[in-house]
This record gives sequence, C-alpha cells and structure tokens, in this order.
Amino acid sequence: MTDPFDSRKAGKAGLPLAQGQGDRLRELMREYQQGRFEAFDDLYAALAPVLRRYLLSHVRDGAKADDLVQDVFLQLHRARHTYDPAYPVTPWVMAIARHAWLMDRRTQSRRPWAPEDVTEMELPVRGEAAAYAEKADVRRALGKVAASRRNAVIQHHVLGWSFKEIAEKAGIAETAAKLRSSRGMAQLRALLRGSK
Amino acid sequence: MTFGELRARVAADYTVVRPLPSPAVRALAVTPFAILALLAAPTYFNVRADATALGWFFTWGASLVQVAAGFALITAALRESVPGRSWTPAQLAMWIIAPLLLVIAVTFASASVSALPLGQGWWIVGLVCLGGSAAMALPIVALANVLAMRAYPTRPVIAGLLAGLGAGLMADAGWRIFCHYGEPAHVLSAHLGGVIIAAAAGAALPLTLKKPFR
Repeated sequence: MTDPFDSRKAGKAGLPLAQGQGDRLRELMREYQQGRFEAFDDLYAALAPVLRRYLLSHVRDGAKADDLVQDVFLQLHRARHTYDPAYPVTPWVMAIARHAWLMDRRTQSRRPWAPEDVTEMELPVRGEAAAYAEKADVRRALGKVAASRRNAVIQHHVLGWSFKEIAEKAGIAETAAKLRSSRGMAQLRALLRGSK
Repeated sequence: MTFGELRARVAADYTVVRPLPSPAVRALAVTPFAILALLAAPTYFNVRADATALGWFFTWGASLVQVAAGFALITAALRESVPGRSWTPAQLAMWIIAPLLLVIAVTFASASVSALPLGQGWWIVGLVCLGGSAAMALPIVALANVLAMRAYPTRPVIAGLLAGLGAGLMADAGWRIFCHYGEPAHVLSAHLGGVIIAAAAGAALPLTLKKPFR
C-alpha cells in the first residue's frame, strides 16, 4: 500500500519518501510496538530529516526545529500504542509533529517571560561559566543561543528553577526541558570556547 | 550526543505495547451504559402514555436509531483522537449537524402520529427532561472522554464534543420513551437541550483533564 502522505505533502515537506519506504516504516513501527527497541534508531534515521524539514518550514529556526524533532520523537514514543499498523506511518507521525508545533506556538504566545535581549540582564556568573570569560562575554554568547534553549538555561542555571517548573511554564515535558537546558549549555560552552 | 540522550530517555520507560483496537471496537465499551440509559427511565418510571398510539417503531424503534447514531458518533470521536485520522471540517460539520437533524426528524415524525400537549407547568416538565437527559448522558460522556484520552487526541475538544453529542443522543433515546409529552416545542427545547448540554460537557471535559501528551 502506498503512503498517501508522499504524494500529498512531499512538495510541502520537501522530502518525498522512496518507493517502498512506507512499508518499511510500517514494519519498523510494528517492531517498535512489539519490543524491538533498536527499531527506534531506524525510525529516527528515516523520519528525523523529514520531520526537521517539515518543522523548519513552520518555525524557520534550525535550533527550534531540532528541539521540536526531539519533542516529536518523545511523543511518538509515548503515543506508540495509538499507531494502527493497518495505516501508513507518516500521516500519524506528521499529525504528532503538527501537534507538537502548535503546542509550542501556543505556549510561546502565552509565555509571560521570554527574554530576547539578554545583554541588559544582570547575570550572576558562577561555577564553570566564571572560568570561561567575563560576564559580558557570557551575555554575548547567551544572546546567540536559540531562544527556547536560552530560556531553559537562564531559568535553570541563573534563576534556579527546577526542570519541572520550567516544563510547566513552557508547557512541555520535563525531559524536553532538560534537553533544552543541556543543549543550550553545550552551545554556550562551544560559543565561549570559540570566543577565547 | 543529542540522539543518545533522547534514546536513553526513551529506553528508560520502553515496554512492549499492544496497538489500540479500532475505534468501533473501543466504542463498544460504552454499551452497558448505553443499555442503562435506554432502559432506566422507562423501567423505573413507565413507558410514555401514548406508546400504544405511537406503535413500536416510533417508541423503541426511533430510540434504537438514536442509540445507533450515538455509537456512530462515539466511534467518530475515538477515530478523531488517533493522530492522522482527524475528520475534515466538512466531515465534522456532517457529524454535528446530522444528529441534530435526526432528533428533529424523530420529533416531528412522532408528533405527526401522537403528541400529548403540555399545559400548565410546562417549564417544570421541561427542566426535569432537560436535567434528566443531560444527567443520564454524563457517565457516557466521561467514559467516552477517557477512551479518547487514552489515544492521542490532537484536537481533544472536538473529540470530546463528538463523544458528548453521541452520549446525549443515547441518553435522550431512553428519556423520550418515558416522557409523555411529544409536543415539538417541548422536545426541541428540553430534550434537544439535554443533548446539547451533553455535547458541551463533552467538549469542556478535556480542558479540565490533564493533557497526557505535551
């Protein structure tokens, strides 16, 4: 059975699936439901590029799209019991991806605090950050980190919020909040190393 | 590293899962409540006074049609709650308008055969029918919403609305067999009002429940 998503959305998502890949995805999803955890790796390899392009077409921000891809795979994992092997995988995954994007957009619009300009913030530089550079360097580097990650880094490492609080505020899963923070810190470290 | 972290988190709670049965099969879970809603009022109170004049078709037959429509709506709600199987706006409009038209059609068809008029105290009877049919629908509304939330409803309010509408039809199916007054003004305000209240409750319930997938 061909995957209807291929013909309907390929142009929009920019990545038509190869002939027969729909069947392969269906088999992988079935295996993932039945207990072969390694199928997750194959699903990620097959779907992540498609999802990233799809999400990128909506958010126009590479880092944000990466975060959303992670969210989508977490939700795909949690919702795996809802996949019916009689149907193609991609419409199911894309519906989850669209939902993740809409939820993110909604929480962004509701978020009362989302600093875009961190250059004016009074940041207590402490711990390993102090070893890197002056406050000004940290602020500059932080300004280059993607907004969603930057918020998680500031909320956790500067304001001392727990990941649970960050997750509740942003309307995301706690694991996603941890992921954003750790990726933000990794990006920050890389930027600070580069500025030395 | 990023994928490794994700993989570790997914692995932490990975278990074998059984795919959800089809929406039609899952909708069968409300059967006991549907039967209860159909039989409770006529059994506890009585069958309407003009049942003989109406005949089997316009009493039990029409109610069974309403119950079947209720099952179809709950099936539609459970399908809506599965990602990638959402209804289009035109299909949704059909799912919402058709049941209302069914109630109107049943009301006028029954009234053309027999319709006891309401005299004084029409509003008390109206309130009893409105509250009674809405209350009978609530267990079905709750159960159908729980079933919908066990999937992955990307539009939970719409899924809840369809489930509530189906539950309302099922509840009214029993209530109309008991209610003696077939006057269209009474049925379309009190009974249809009960169906609409059930639909509103179904749409509101997902807003109060914790969203499992965010």
